[in-house]
Order: sequence, then structure tokens, then C-alpha cells
Amino acid sequence: MRNMTTALIKTHNLRKQFISYKKSPGIMGSFTSFFKRNPVTKDAVKGFDLEVKKGEIVGLLGPNGAGKTTLMKMFTGIIVPTDGELKILGSNPWERDKNFRKRIALVMGQKSQLWWDIPAMDSFLLLQKYYEVPQAAFEARIEKMSELLGVKDLLHIHVRKLSLGERMKMELMASLLHNPEVIFLDEPTIGLDLVAQENIRNFIKEYHRENDCCIIITSHYMQDVQALCDRLVLIFDGEKGYDGPLDNFEDILGSEKSVSFSFKNAPQKDHPLLSGYDASWNEEGTSVELRVPEEELCSLSAKILNALEVDDFATEKLPIERVMKELMNNPEILRQKREAQANV
Amino acid sequence: MFKDLNLANLSKWWITIQISWVKHTAYRLNFFLQIIGPALVFFFVKYNLWASIYAGDEELVIKGFTFEQMINYHTWAFVVSLVAQGHGSWNLAEDIRMGRISSYLIYPFNFWEFHTASWLSFQVIQMIIASITLAIISFFGLVTFPSWDLFALGVAYTLFISLFWFTLQYLTGVMAFWLEETWILRVMLSIVAYFLSGAIIPLDLYPQWLVDILNLTPFPYLTYYPIKIFMGEVANLGLGLGLISFWTVVFALINHLVWKKGIRLYTAAGM
Repeated sequence: MRNMTTALIKTHNLRKQFISYKKSPGIMGSFTSFFKRNPVTKDAVKGFDLEVKKGEIVGLLGPNGAGKTTLMKMFTGIIVPTDGELKILGSNPWERDKNFRKRIALVMGQKSQLWWDIPAMDSFLLLQKYYEVPQAAFEARIEKMSELLGVKDLLHIHVRKLSLGERMKMELMASLLHNPEVIFLDEPTIGLDLVAQENIRNFIKEYHRENDCCIIITSHYMQDVQALCDRLVLIFDGEKGYDGPLDNFEDILGSEKSVSFSFKNAPQKDHPLLSGYDASWNEEGTSVELRVPEEELCSLSAKILNALEVDDFATEKLPIERVMKELMNNPEILRQKREAQANV
Repeated sequence: MFKDLNLANLSKWWITIQISWVKHTAYRLNFFLQIIGPALVFFFVKYNLWASIYAGDEELVIKGFTFEQMINYHTWAFVVSLVAQGHGSWNLAEDIRMGRISSYLIYPFNFWEFHTASWLSFQVIQMIIASITLAIISFFGLVTFPSWDLFALGVAYTLFISLFWFTLQYLTGVMAFWLEETWILRVMLSIVAYFLSGAIIPLDLYPQWLVDILNLTPFPYLTYYPIKIFMGEVANLGLGLGLISFWTVVFALINHLVWKKGIRLYTAAGM
């Protein structure tokens, strides 16, 4: 616990620019681009600041192309930052020192790291040597993890014959064999069914509880984030939009609550009481979910209960899916919020 | 590079060689075809070609080669190409282009180490294939074996050449950081090498002035001279070893620099 206060991940003004070349379609396009190349510069990450301490699980969220994966690639030393400061466990990742590599792990949901044509166990044995894991520790970890993930019988089956969910569990095991201090999970649950997703989430939670490691996770599934992360970092268009506890995340949109009503008979969708609250209806039009400012909550609910035949009625905090969706559609909310904070 | 030369690192090499072996032999039918394929190719292509050129005339001598000697030459040419040039490094360029090297960048075992170990493992398989091919061809009485010491020299020389080919093919592979397709580069390289090294027709059939020039390049030492050793004649051995060593070191150095520069450009596409 002595390292509680030192940051394991530290970035300051981190930038990454990609240069690509524009090519018009077709043969003529290939021909002209052969002689005259049009470079296109894209700022994938523009001045990113982040500090993550030991034991934290941070959810890194953002729309496609926002720069999440670029960040992950820089953190793990796969690509070199264009500018700015980046220290992971005190090292520059892009120098790719072997000792540094032994202390981190990366799981890519979209890309298999296991060898396709051999059983997972063979890959594990290879990784055991690569990471110089002592035999006893290796056996104990395999035993424990395969038990937790329920894949004990699959260790000796060729990876190409495993289902996506089973393979993902193997990928997780492979990346954790060397007991890494910092773990990067890039969409670990992508494409999995709900049971497998939950299984993997529970495993990560359990693993984190026992090893007190630092985890950065990106995901498109809010359940992942809600189940695992204490802290949320949002990235929009290469910039950090929000960084703070999950609990405070909803506050970005003001103190609003989600209220849902189910009706006996489907009311008119443009009913004056129901419009103007970002209503989202179910298919039959018999239930609606509204986003209501806290101060209006009581009066509005009372009016609706009086005016319409309500079957059921519930209120809860705004689910983060809705907050994310709102922010993706209106990124300026974050800017206004930041400016408001800066003015205070 | 040499600071990694310890027991733990050697065991990483060893397990990589073992795993590559398992990967190469994972598909049994494929492996079987790989083993008997070369002998079939030999009979269908090379033997038939030269049989029709000589048209059954046992007295015919082309530039000092009777039919029997020509087939003997091509048998050894085949063995040399299997051992020295069997490895295509096809995966390497593909790995870079598709962003698959990301995994290797994270493991505490380097990309070049991984590929060199895979190559070593592949060489063992190629040696087995070459032995079987040689055994099949000699079963039909088409090969004359040299003395044991020349045979051993020929094998050692050929293995040394395979290291040269590996460094050169590695170079074409890492060019994938800049080029979208590297196969055309490799095809051109192997066609040029085929003609200039004596793999298609013995250099004795070329005009003398061309042979004199070629002798100053590494090409004839890659196929023609090792074949000559297997046929019982050692010539230009020192010059050949010197030239091949020189170019192997040069390519290894260029590979190192190209990798260092390329990795800064790498965008890990698709990850």
C-alpha cells in the first residue's frame, strides 16, 4: 500500500498525429497519387492529461474514433506519441524496455493475441517462458483463473475451435499470467452474449479485488463501466471531456432524474404534459421515459398521474447510457460545463 | 543484443522454436503434402523438362553436361533451394501491414527474436523435407553422392546461405512499414536470383564474360557453387564465404535501422 499516492499512469499534454495520404478512387487515382501525394494530418489525441493511481479501475469511454484506442496503443508502447509527456510505471512506454513490458498487459477484444493453430495451453506455456513466471505460480494461476472462468476443459483445445466468448476468456488468462501491475482492457466484452459478458466482468472484479492492480478499460457497454469502474474518463475528438467519479457523471446534465410511466392505454405521443422532456417511448407507445429536472419532478408526476391512466410509475437516477448519448449528440455541453467551471 | 544472452532468454528461444514446430505441423495432411510435394515437383517439372531437351540421347553433351549429369545438377540445385531458400518470410510483411505485430511489441521477447526462432524451427522441417526428397530421387538412381566430408561441407555451406536469405527476406518484410505490398519485391528478387545464381540452368551454359562478372556478386555462391560442392568440386570457397558473410552483416545492420525507423511510423492499423 505504500505506493497509494504515486501515479502509475501519468500523461501531460499528450498528443498523437497521424499522417495519411489521400487517394482518389480507381486506377487513375492510384496513378496520380503515385506522383503527387496529398498528406492528410489527423490529430487523434490532442493534449491529454491523465493520472491514475494504484488500485484504480478507470473506464475510458468515447464514441468510435475519439482516440481511445490510440491512447491505449501509446500507453502500451505500441505507437510513439507525437508530443507531450507519458510515463507508465515510471517508464516511457515507447522505449519498450523488457522490464517495463513484463509489468503491463493488454487485452484487445477485437484482436486475438493467442496463436490460432495451437491449444491455448501451448500459448500459455510460451508466455510463461517469455514472462519468466515460476512454475508453481504459473500452475496456481492457471488453476485459479480457469476455475473462475469455467474453461478448465478447454485448455487443450485448438484456439480456432473455441467460441468467441471462450476465446476471450483465454485471452484474459493469457494476459494475466505474469501478474501485471497495470492492465489495459480494450473492449474486452465486445460481441459477447450477456452471460459471457457478466462472467468476464465478475472475473475482472474478482481479479482486481485480489491483486489490487490498476486497470484501464474501454468499452461500449455501459454495464461494464457501471459494474467495474469507480472513475470515468470521457474522450471526445481526442480531448478529455470528463474525468471524475461515476456517481458525479450524471450531474453533467444538471440534476435530472429519469421517470418512467406505463399507461393502461397508449396516450397521444404529443400530449402536452409528456413533450419537452426528451421522451423515449417503447414500441407499443404504452410506456415512456422522461428526463425531468429534479425541482419539477413532483409537480409533473402529479399532473401526469391525474391526467392519464397510469399503470406503473418509477423514478431513478439517469442511466449513464442516456447521459453518454446526450453528450455524444451535443459535445458542446461539456465545453460549456468546463467554461462554467473555469469562470467560477 | 548480447546482454540478452542468458539462460532465461535461451529458454524463450527454445520454446518459440518448439511452438513454431507445432504450428508448422498442426495440419497433418498439409504437412504430408509439404514433405512429398517437392519430390513430385521435381519429377513432373525438372526431370520432364530436361528429358525432353535431351530427347533420350545419352551421348548428347551440352556444355560438358550429359543428361545424367544435368539431372544430378538439378537434384542438388533442388536440395540447395529447399534448405537455403525455403523460408519465404511471407508472414512478416503481413504481420506488419495488418497490425499484428502489436502483440509482439508487448511481449518481453522481441519481434526479430520471434521470427528468427520461427525460422530456425522452419529450417529443421526443411532439412527433413530435403532429406526425404533426396532419398526419393536417389531411389530412382538419379543422384551421385560426393564423399562424406564434401557432403558435410555442402550442407554447412547451404545452411550458411540460408542465413543470408533470411536476413535479405527479413529486409523485404520490414519494408512493409512503407510499402503496402512487398510480394512483388520478393518475386522480383527470387526471379533475378534464380537466373543469376544458376538455379535454372548451370552457369556453365552462360557466356564466360557474364560468369566472370557474376563471380564478383553473391549470386553464384548462393546456388551454383554449393551445387558444385555436392557434385564433388570445391571452387572459390573463400571468396564465396567472404561475400556472403559481408552481405549478411550488411543486411542485418540495415534491418536493424529499418526496424527502428519503421516502428516510429507504425500505426498498429486495425487494432
